[in-house]
Amino acid sequence: MFHPKKPSGMNSHERGMCVQGDSGLVLTTDPKPRLRWTVELHERFVDAVTQLGGPDKATPKTIMRVMGVKGLTLYHLKSHLQKFRLGKQPHKEFNDHSIKDASALELQRSSASSSAMIGRSMNEMQMEVQRRLHEQLEVQRHLQLRIEAQGKYMQAMLEKACQTLAGESMVLHNSSGAGYHNHKTPSNMPNPMNSIGGGAPFVKDFGSSSPLNFPSFQDLNIYGGADQLDLHPNLDRPSLSLDSYHLPSNNNSSHDNSGFGKKRPSPFVTGGSGKNPLLWSADDLPEHGHDQIHTPEMVDSISVDIYEAKPPPALTGGGGGDEQKPLKPHRHDDHLFQQAG
Amino acid sequence: MDMAIDYVTMMEFSGHSTATTDEFDGGCRDWSDWSPVLDWDAVPGSGLGGFDDLLASLLEDGTGPDQPHLPPQWVDSPPSVHTVANDKEGDETDGHDFKGLRLVHLLMAAGEALSSEGENRELARVILVRLKELVSPASGGCGTNMERLAAHFTDALQGLLEGAGAVAQGGGKHSIGGRPHRLEGGYNQTDVLVAFQLLQDMSPYVKFGHFTANQAILEAVGHERRVHVVDYDIMEGVQWASLMQALVSQDGGRPAPHLRITAVSRACSGRRSITTVQETGRRLAAYAKSVGQPFSFHQYRMDPDETFRPAALKLVQGEALFFNCMLHLPHSTYHTPASIASFLSGARALSPTLVTLVEEEAGPAGGGGGFMGRFMDSLHHYSAVYDSLEAGFPMPDWARALVEKVFLGPRIAGSLVRMYRGRPGEEEEEEGSGKGGSWGEWLVAEGFKPGRVSSSNHCQAKLLVGLFDDGYRVEEVAGNRLVLGWKSRRLLSASIWTASSDPDSLN
Repeated sequence: MFHPKKPSGMNSHERGMCVQGDSGLVLTTDPKPRLRWTVELHERFVDAVTQLGGPDKATPKTIMRVMGVKGLTLYHLKSHLQKFRLGKQPHKEFNDHSIKDASALELQRSSASSSAMIGRSMNEMQMEVQRRLHEQLEVQRHLQLRIEAQGKYMQAMLEKACQTLAGESMVLHNSSGAGYHNHKTPSNMPNPMNSIGGGAPFVKDFGSSSPLNFPSFQDLNIYGGADQLDLHPNLDRPSLSLDSYHLPSNNNSSHDNSGFGKKRPSPFVTGGSGKNPLLWSADDLPEHGHDQIHTPEMVDSISVDIYEAKPPPALTGGGGGDEQKPLKPHRHDDHLFQQAG
Repeated sequence: MDMAIDYVTMMEFSGHSTATTDEFDGGCRDWSDWSPVLDWDAVPGSGLGGFDDLLASLLEDGTGPDQPHLPPQWVDSPPSVHTVANDKEGDETDGHDFKGLRLVHLLMAAGEALSSEGENRELARVILVRLKELVSPASGGCGTNMERLAAHFTDALQGLLEGAGAVAQGGGKHSIGGRPHRLEGGYNQTDVLVAFQLLQDMSPYVKFGHFTANQAILEAVGHERRVHVVDYDIMEGVQWASLMQALVSQDGGRPAPHLRITAVSRACSGRRSITTVQETGRRLAAYAKSVGQPFSFHQYRMDPDETFRPAALKLVQGEALFFNCMLHLPHSTYHTPASIASFLSGARALSPTLVTLVEEEAGPAGGGGGFMGRFMDSLHHYSAVYDSLEAGFPMPDWARALVEKVFLGPRIAGSLVRMYRGRPGEEEEEEGSGKGGSWGEWLVAEGFKPGRVSSSNHCQAKLLVGLFDDGYRVEEVAGNRLVLGWKSRRLLSASIWTASSDPDSLN
């Protein structure tokens, strides 16, 4: 019959003995109660430690405060923190540490010779792996958000340029017929405005109703699916659909395209847009000036090309998913921000 | 000086070329009559055997102590063939590989001729004519990487020939006729903007520089309430969008610290500038508002002599100060070493929390090696960049061509001009000639201490470049630097520094 008693030599330094009573329960005579570090608990722990500036800066006391978990004592945190530091940098020296932890370090490095030793090293390794995975996931999440932020900024800039150009081209069109929209390039370069008009394929929009869906991140397959890559809960990002474009409610534009001021809600502009950026969806350009920004066919064909190839990693929202993106011209879904007064 | 050019092999591959077969034959025949200087009929041998002779004769005059080193990528794995423009039979690849190498030889020959002691301009002129013939099909976006790259180098060399000033104006023969120009040089502001967007989509260079610096800044900000960033060349400001995003969405729901950005502006901004500093400020303010980031923007106008005066900077008590210096991103404009040095010295005087620096990674030879050494290094560098852009992900030809035309071509031209001027004996004023090393080394010499690149930062960089292509790699060097490279060539370096508060200390 299997004896449940663990070799006392391994446990004695911090746990009591496990005693099997007649009823079959495993009791401990620990002076210090045993705590099971579940995955979630550990994640919270790592979160707290990260917040506090890393395992070197964090102390059990502050961690306890940040974590705010009932029943968690300083003792638990102290030993877990030491193990964590060990796991993080096994080569690093640390000061306040007792012989038992030194022996734990030894165990980690030398080859384990008994099952209990292996068990402990596995635990360390497991924590290390978990920690690394956690870090990578965090980094990945932040990276997505940052790429998206850059994309938003660029998009606003391009839209502004688009509209400025439209204004100019209208003038030119009216006057001489020379200019961008009439010009067919002799070389292989089509009008570059075709690429940026109307939310060009290179410019992302938020036409996806699912969370950010980077195919490349899917490939990384850390958690086995894009579903798990949820947006940061702090970000107040409603899910956008292709239908929710925003148009300026009243155009302050100096050009007379005020006929296009359709009102639609925008998730990003708060309150009434008293002053609004001079942005509009490409499809609402004045008809006569329409073709200098893009021709829908052209955009379509470009977007087809791009989507059938591997999509730009910088695409946000729309991701690259062929399955998500209907092939129609992009729109500006939203005003990203108002022009600062 | 007799130059032995491998005439026979030129004739061989002329059969492969797309549009200029007849011209090749006609042209080649005429040259013997036309230029008595060159012994076109001398055939040292076929294939690569001729190359050594060519090199040897190139280096007869012994201008540079170093043999120009042909990077292995050109000999072992030649530039990729562009299938759209040239799909012919199977051994077309060999023809193109060979042609690529041939272009390199000619470029080297031209560079050598221009920079040699006799300044054999006549020879250079002849070689450049030949080069132009070879690369003319490539302008406008078709052709292999090597061809398009050679086209830009040819233009640059041509500019050197005609007088260094001409080429610095940019564009030139590749401008598309008929477009309304807003800036000189054949491209306008919209082109620049579109090219910039494309550049970011097809390569990680810009994001790598920005994100690495931002991550370091973010980590150093910690729990500070006020952050002040002094940006040497804010350009269009996109770097700060992602920093703001990171600041407002810190874990734990912490309120974002107040961010203040001081943008250094100069009297004459680059002709290729995408926007003005004021517009950038407005845009950033708008973005900040949209994400809820407390923000203010200032402009530091530098005098024409571009001396940075720390005392003129407005500082606020209790703010964490950062100096950000993005130097050699593909879309960056050129700044003189004096200006950069002045900025960084000023940084040290103010003891910022962190100095973030992004610069081009110099080749193995560093800044030395004379004109030819640097020329070859530059060729190697840009050929890696071109390859990396191509491998990014499938882009229409015109997209890559636009990026090359708007950003890379002028960079190449400007850098050749500076190399040329910086030759021994010429005015020693520009980058590389006096310094020879990187700005990182300069910082060390000036007493800056290296910071530390965190594992998160490194992880982020690796993830980022992994999104683009596996050919990119990120190395951590010396603990404070991340270097982005393509295949075996290091291209861009992002480093972190701190400064001690004692400006007189030499440690």
